[in-house]
Amino acid sequence: MPAAALLALFFVGPALWALYSSLTNLALVGIDAANPRFVGIDNYTRLLADPDFWTVIRNSVVFVVGSAVIGQFGLGLALALLIDHAEHRRWWLGTLAYGAVLLAWVNPTLIAGFLWVAMYDFFFGSLNHVFLSSLGASPVDWLGSFPMPAVIVANIWRGTAFTMIIFLGALKTIPPDIYEAARIDGANAWRRFWDHTLPSLRPIAALALLSITMSTFGTFIVIQTLTNGGPGINTEVIALYAFHTAFKSFSIGYGSAIAVVMLALNFAFAILYLRWSRARA
Amino acid sequence: MTTRAESRAARSTAAPRGASWVETIAAHLVFGVVVLFFLVPFLWLFTSAFDADAVAYIRVPAKPTLDNFVRIFTEHDFGRALVNSVFVAGSTMVLDVVAVSLAGYSLSRLDLRFKSWIMYAVLLLQTMPLSATMVPIYGLARALGLRNSYVGLILIHAAIELPFLIWLMKNFFDNVPRYLEEAAWLDGRSKLRALVEVVLPVARNGIGVVAGLSFLAAWAEVLMMIILIDSQDLKTVPLAFYETLRTQGGYTEVQYGLVAAMGVLYAVPVMAIFLATRRMMVRGLVASSRGL
Repeated sequence: MPAAALLALFFVGPALWALYSSLTNLALVGIDAANPRFVGIDNYTRLLADPDFWTVIRNSVVFVVGSAVIGQFGLGLALALLIDHAEHRRWWLGTLAYGAVLLAWVNPTLIAGFLWVAMYDFFFGSLNHVFLSSLGASPVDWLGSFPMPAVIVANIWRGTAFTMIIFLGALKTIPPDIYEAARIDGANAWRRFWDHTLPSLRPIAALALLSITMSTFGTFIVIQTLTNGGPGINTEVIALYAFHTAFKSFSIGYGSAIAVVMLALNFAFAILYLRWSRARA
Repeated sequence: MTTRAESRAARSTAAPRGASWVETIAAHLVFGVVVLFFLVPFLWLFTSAFDADAVAYIRVPAKPTLDNFVRIFTEHDFGRALVNSVFVAGSTMVLDVVAVSLAGYSLSRLDLRFKSWIMYAVLLLQTMPLSATMVPIYGLARALGLRNSYVGLILIHAAIELPFLIWLMKNFFDNVPRYLEEAAWLDGRSKLRALVEVVLPVARNGIGVVAGLSFLAAWAEVLMMIILIDSQDLKTVPLAFYETLRTQGGYTEVQYGLVAAMGVLYAVPVMAIFLATRRMMVRGLVASSRGL
């Protein structure tokens, strides 16, 4: 019961509150703060006509594809395969790599953002001052010229461990007899990997991919500390847009409409996730 | 049934020959790059925290010192932030352990109608990103007078982790045999006493994971802190860190040494607890994503 009450208050409550206030012109300051008016679906029609909103959606898609699908998923899978292999070979460097990836993940997100602020710093950041200058190259304005790749790399650094752990766990459940049989049939390492390892990973891969897509879609802190959506709105993703609209432009009603869009998209992903995980069970 | 050790042995015999030296070198090069990529940013955090005039790039501290750690307590009231954070995270942990034990136990044992629907609803809540509920939670907390209050911080942090922890704990309870509590009932214990005295001790690994994860999550979380707290008295560790980083940018130089010292005190407890209990934590995480 206490759990149900807390869940109702802080999950269902906000969702309903968001739906309601997205239909008003509630603001943080000014006359609309005291007397919010009911404005129907005005906030939503305004959202659809807002060119910034479409840029923000495009940024979010680029960020999710780069950071979750290619980065965390691809790198996580590659690392899991390599580290699993290293375990059989008893290479200790594989264990060290595992620990390093894990450390970046358990570290508070705010610290992750801050560490990369220092890495990317134009005048004195480690990337320019230590790495590039030792190669004799001239400094690069990472956050100014390549803001999106920069935040994507930082987020890959932070979040790769999750998929890696999931795949390492899944690899351990593949029965060894399968490989033995395939070897007797004369399949080479590449064929064994392609015909047996990958297909056994497929169901868990679908779930892991959806799961990181959802969490990456909500990324806020990493981008906020690194670029705060800038330069301009080049790295403004949907979570930042909702935040800036509500707390910098003080339009809670409009900000809530953005939050409702986020929740709806997330809901769609989640339903898909539930269907796939039920199909597995 | 093969044990893990056996299956590992079987697989290593399944690996054909020893590794060729090309393979060995290539794999070690890749691992070297991975280790560098993931560890170098931390290297900077630890060198600057002990550097009297820290800079944004990595170097061996010019003048090694503990001065940064002294100054954050004397000049930036970091002690207050530490106490606030420990209090909020600790209370969150207690609240979560109680709520999750009750909820997980009932979902594991009771024959509720629509039980699978309840489980899926809980799972659905777990996937809601915090940044999507941030604006409405702000509005709700303001309406309920929960901004700038310990109660608000604790309740919200307890709620954030609940769905995930309930799933986790239900799986732990599912592995506790039923005859244990049935014997306790026959002895005349009430259901609640049987849960506390018989079932919880058996599921103590689960309780440990729940306690650890809820403490760490509340300690590290920053989004809710930003929107709920603007009073100096309630400032927590991440807020102090955030403030020192933000207010010193612009015209004044960022005091990297101070920020890094705060960062060390903020991040090290999390890493230490997690790494010390990583087997349990990782297993809990994997179990929760697979027990669907």
